Amino acid sequence: MSALLELVGLSKFFGNVTALENITTSVGAGAVTCVLGDNGAGKSTLIKILSGVHQQSEGEFLLDGNEVRFASPRDARAAGIATVYQDLAMAPLMSVWRNFFLGSEPGRLGRFDTSFAKKTAREEMAKMGIDVRDLDQPVGTLSGGERQSVAIARAVYFGARVLILDEPTSALGVKQSGVVLKYVRAAAERGLGVIFITHNPHHAYPVGNRFLVLNRGKSLGDFAKAEISREELTRLMAGGAELEALQHELEVR
Amino acid sequence: MGAVLQAGGDVAGTTGSTGTTASAGGHGDERISFRGPMQRLLTSPEIGALVGTVMVWSLFWSTGQKFGNAGSTASWLDVAAPLGIMAVAIGLLMIGGEFDLSAGVMTGSTGIMVGLFAQKFMGDGATLWIAVPVAFLAAGAIGWFNGTLVNRTKLPSFIVTLATFFILRGANLVFSKRLVDKVLVENVNSETVTGFEPFRKAFASIHNKETFALRDPIFLTLVIVGIAAVIWSFLEQSLVRRERPNSAVVPVVGVGAVAALAGFGLLHNSDGTSMNVLSGVVGLGGMLVAIAGFAAWRYETHVPTGSWVTHRGRTPLAVGLGCLIVAYLVTRKLDLNQQRVLLSVPAHGLKVAIGVVALVVGAGLVTMRGVRAMRAQVGGTKRSPLLIPKLVATAAIGALLMLVGVLTFLQLTTEQGFRALVQVGLGGVGLVALLAAKGAARRESSRAQLSIGVIIAAALVAYGFLLRHDSGAVRFRSGLFTAMMLFATLALANALVEYRQVKRQRADHDADHLGRLLGVIGMAMVALGFGIRLFFTGSNFRVSVLWWILITAIAAYTLARTRYGNWIFAVGGNKEAARAIGVPADQVKVGLFMMVSLVGCLVGMINTLRFTSVAASQGIGEEFEYIIAAVVGGCLLTGGYGSVIGASLGAMIMAMSINGIPAARWNSDNRFIFLGAVLFIAVLVNQKIRQKAQEAR
Repeated sequence: MSALLELVGLSKFFGNVTALENITTSVGAGAVTCVLGDNGAGKSTLIKILSGVHQQSEGEFLLDGNEVRFASPRDARAAGIATVYQDLAMAPLMSVWRNFFLGSEPGRLGRFDTSFAKKTAREEMAKMGIDVRDLDQPVGTLSGGERQSVAIARAVYFGARVLILDEPTSALGVKQSGVVLKYVRAAAERGLGVIFITHNPHHAYPVGNRFLVLNRGKSLGDFAKAEISREELTRLMAGGAELEALQHELEVR
Repeated sequence: MGAVLQAGGDVAGTTGSTGTTASAGGHGDERISFRGPMQRLLTSPEIGALVGTVMVWSLFWSTGQKFGNAGSTASWLDVAAPLGIMAVAIGLLMIGGEFDLSAGVMTGSTGIMVGLFAQKFMGDGATLWIAVPVAFLAAGAIGWFNGTLVNRTKLPSFIVTLATFFILRGANLVFSKRLVDKVLVENVNSETVTGFEPFRKAFASIHNKETFALRDPIFLTLVIVGIAAVIWSFLEQSLVRRERPNSAVVPVVGVGAVAALAGFGLLHNSDGTSMNVLSGVVGLGGMLVAIAGFAAWRYETHVPTGSWVTHRGRTPLAVGLGCLIVAYLVTRKLDLNQQRVLLSVPAHGLKVAIGVVALVVGAGLVTMRGVRAMRAQVGGTKRSPLLIPKLVATAAIGALLMLVGVLTFLQLTTEQGFRALVQVGLGGVGLVALLAAKGAARRESSRAQLSIGVIIAAALVAYGFLLRHDSGAVRFRSGLFTAMMLFATLALANALVEYRQVKRQRADHDADHLGRLLGVIGMAMVALGFGIRLFFTGSNFRVSVLWWILITAIAAYTLARTRYGNWIFAVGGNKEAARAIGVPADQVKVGLFMMVSLVGCLVGMINTLRFTSVAASQGIGEEFEYIIAAVVGGCLLTGGYGSVIGASLGAMIMAMSINGIPAARWNSDNRFIFLGAVLFIAVLVNQKIRQKAQEAR
């Protein structure tokens, strides 16, 4: 599996504050790399570097083996890195197909080719295994998981090679999360490299091929799926030794 | 997620959609994947305005002797055009999430600017060829200023444009007083102003054309073909197409179509009663056969099952028939042919009775609501000691309000007004109840649906005959009667088709596309037919009506079929999201503000060149009328949703009431009350209907 995107010893400093230190991981085409970490672990900083909002201070950021440094989110998008944020960029009262093509409407001379848009939106969502009952319904009436899936399908359609998902399951119930995880897998199966940010190891483990665990800006390890079990991942994620100390403390009382 | 969930909640809050129930999610199989044409119409933003337009038109048509003929239509269209043009612009801006309070005064300011420029520039004035473009440039600049200020300061556009409003209002006074010593710029005409004629032609010319021999045949052809296309469009969008058309029924369709054409043609040309009856029956029967035959030829049939008797449809059926009977009885008491006097109920006892009924109904309504609300709150376990006094107090207030309302209404209206209101109101409620009964029966079985359909058709026919028998007024004898017969036939045809044909459950891209196309073409043909019939009557139609149609068409096309339309919806619905995904949100807003100002300037030109004078106060206060028209048309105050066609219809409703109220010999001051009521009702209807239709998804 050749690495589509690779980070080697990546660090980010804001003045004296070290936000990220010596991060190394990779994502291959058709694979899912999960980035796990508690609040303040540096997940957001990592996303911002990958999507071109910030630039790395040290280390290498390789895309297709070439070192890159994005000046802006536009550059990252042009290079094929699409980010689906938690607060998805959608207008709730607009229909699914209008949202799907928002900002990149097909058609010449300002015309919006609506029949092409409807057809394509339906096909693209079907390819991801998403069955929206009515393309004309406002996005606001979709469930959270469905909205995430529309955003994912949209990013895939508009030529993303690397898809960054920022905690897509954090606000969802169990069933809805399962739906989204299915789409994460579907995106990878279509040949994309997916970077899946989450703080829930139970969501990460079933879909991930690689796991990068962050804690306070430092990497606790970058594992292939074969190298780590679900229990170890959970323990690592929960703070490992720290949690044991806390447990000990609580029990003593 | 949080922001979107929030926004989803807003959807539920503001439009009454089902954001919360839909989020339950679920599997593909338990969802409806297709909405029929009727349901799409009901969920469209302009439905309230559409219903309102029909109701208001029927109301004035049945009260005023002249309302509805070509001359009267020309005169209310004259009022509607400038209002409609502005309502469309403001509607577009509101969909983009902003307001413009300076839009009204803009129509005056640009007029004053052109007048002063043409008369006083450098001593003796400039030609309009310079003055008019300068006014448009200035309007564009003011719009740009509004938009840029809103973007930069992030202040609500309400505040920013309020400031612009006052500045323009002041400028109007200052400049007109200083240059012509009056608050009125007069005599903008061909004697004082160079280059006047071409601009008057473009913006304010009057057109009248006498009738010509082929007018009525053209009208009839367009309307019949148009209606046929609309019917086909509905069938195409709601039924399943056969793999191979059933050629056995082709002769039936042919016979029906020929009979329909021959019948309607004869009906139009004949005057004798027996001939009318004969051709009417032949025409309507032919229509029925043609529609049912066409459906059998092209669409899949199935064997009907189930009981002929409906259970769930009984109550609405009874309500509907009851409403029609009461409407008829009221109509009998108050004949249109009596003089147009203020309503005076002769018997003294009846006055008291009406008062008592009003009191009881008011108290009852309030008490019912109160009891239900308290039950929901308290849950029946704990009772506040103040419960009974509270209920009594609210009931008393409700009763008094109702009494005052009813008595005031009875003071103001004429007998004819009362009669028309009862008819349109009760008739409308009755019709809705009957349709609800049919809907309930349809869910039970296709047979029950047919039996209700037949009852509805029979009721409509009976009502038509009763009205015709009862009233001496020509309008009731011919127009309303014809409409009733036509509706009855359509209802029967609809029931027959639903009885025999399979209803489509899923989307069919080709059929839906064809259906939509047919619908648009059909409606355009009907509109064109009526347009031709109205125009070639020698009445004075203003060119501003053409501007109105043009602006509405451009705006509707832009909104539905261009990327700018998509961007307008997006910046109104979620500006930050739109920006994040690459929509130039600031430019879109500035563009919208400039568009409103430019359109305001267009209306300024239309008014100035028409009246040849402008007052400094021109347009002040009208900005709210534009907003009302847009809101009646289904544009959301919070942005991101709406329709410009609805806004146009909203303007039509307002213009019809401005002209129709005096035509019905009501006190013309009533129009403000009327407008308030219309605004209220249209918004409620919009919300209710959309809520119902969304639930049915």
